[in-house]
Amino acid sequence: MIFEKMPAEEPTCREWTAELVECARRAGRERQPGRELRMHLAACERCSERWDAELLLTSHLSAMRNRTAAFRAREGRGAVLMRDFARMHKVRMIRGWGMALGAAAALVLAVVVGHMAGEAQRKPVHHARQQPSFYESGGDVLSTDASALSSDDFVAVPYTPPLAQGEMVRVVHAELYPEALASMGVEVDPAYTDRLPADVVVGEDGLPRAVRITENSSSF
Amino acid sequence: MQPSDEELYRLMKKGNQDAFARLYERREPALYRFALHMSGSPTVAEEVSHEVFVQLMGPSTRFDETKGSLESFLYGIARNLVRVVRRLGPVAEPVDRAVHHDILGDLIGNETTAMLHRTLRDMPERYRDVVILCDLEERSYEEVAKLIGRPVGTVRSRLHRARALLAARLKRLNAPQEVGAR
Repeated sequence: MIFEKMPAEEPTCREWTAELVECARRAGRERQPGRELRMHLAACERCSERWDAELLLTSHLSAMRNRTAAFRAREGRGAVLMRDFARMHKVRMIRGWGMALGAAAALVLAVVVGHMAGEAQRKPVHHARQQPSFYESGGDVLSTDASALSSDDFVAVPYTPPLAQGEMVRVVHAELYPEALASMGVEVDPAYTDRLPADVVVGEDGLPRAVRITENSSSF
Repeated sequence: MQPSDEELYRLMKKGNQDAFARLYERREPALYRFALHMSGSPTVAEEVSHEVFVQLMGPSTRFDETKGSLESFLYGIARNLVRVVRRLGPVAEPVDRAVHHDILGDLIGNETTAMLHRTLRDMPERYRDVVILCDLEERSYEEVAKLIGRPVGTVRSRLHRARALLAARLKRLNAPQEVGAR
């Protein structure tokens, strides 16, 4: 029922509007209104008014476009940008080289430190080997139990660094010369010159922490 | 064959100043005009078109070729910068350019055209964008759709709506003259 009350030309005008606007936008150029549109414009006052308004708008927009087409930023702005670009990339290049050199230096430093740390770790072992008869005796690992240190038989080796929290120890069975035992704080009859069987508590760094003479040599 | 914007951008990022210069020459004039029409101020347009390229060459540029063209990216920066400037309020023009009201209008010369430009400048951004790009920069609907990241149909309908608003304004502007003429 509602359709009967609507003006008959309403849908037609709406359909023509898009075509009308597109033709007006390109007025005098690649698009001209077709015969049907021209007939509709001749018949419909509202569309004809819109057509005139669109043409007028197109002419003003065209004037605006032509007037501003040559507008550009001042000449110097581009030169400033190019200078900034060159400076920025120079800084970036220098920074890049700096970072590369820094990384190389850090790498070298890490290698040197690693090497020194390795040396430091190896040194105590080497030192222990130099101690007479400690490793020369071909010691066997008897235990890795840290509680061995609390055993009453063990004598703490003086002047050795304390064990770190959670540091593992080994109890090594060895045959030591009396001088070696003396250097670890165990008194041995100086008249005795043979090697004596002993258990040595060794830290992770290879240094002896405690020593005890085993039972079969207790008479000394 | 001309290298694409994206190719020039890649070269530029490696420090090729010639590529940057070519990109600037290719895109700066249109960006300047876009900012000029959007803001109505040559000073703002100059700053915006400059800043677009400053941002482009900066280390924090987040242009992603998979998400759109470089041109669209540049227009996006320009649009955002104009938006920021407009939010801050009127910009003081240099003394040599200072006039009382619409500097671009004066540059345009014709009074009705200048008034129309003021109307355009005060329109909602979604309409202003399409009029500037489609009718002032003469870009196709497809190109504008890519630049603003909207479907072609949306661009067309926005332009038709914008033109209807401008045409109505133009009619009102001409009406007193017609009455006076009679």
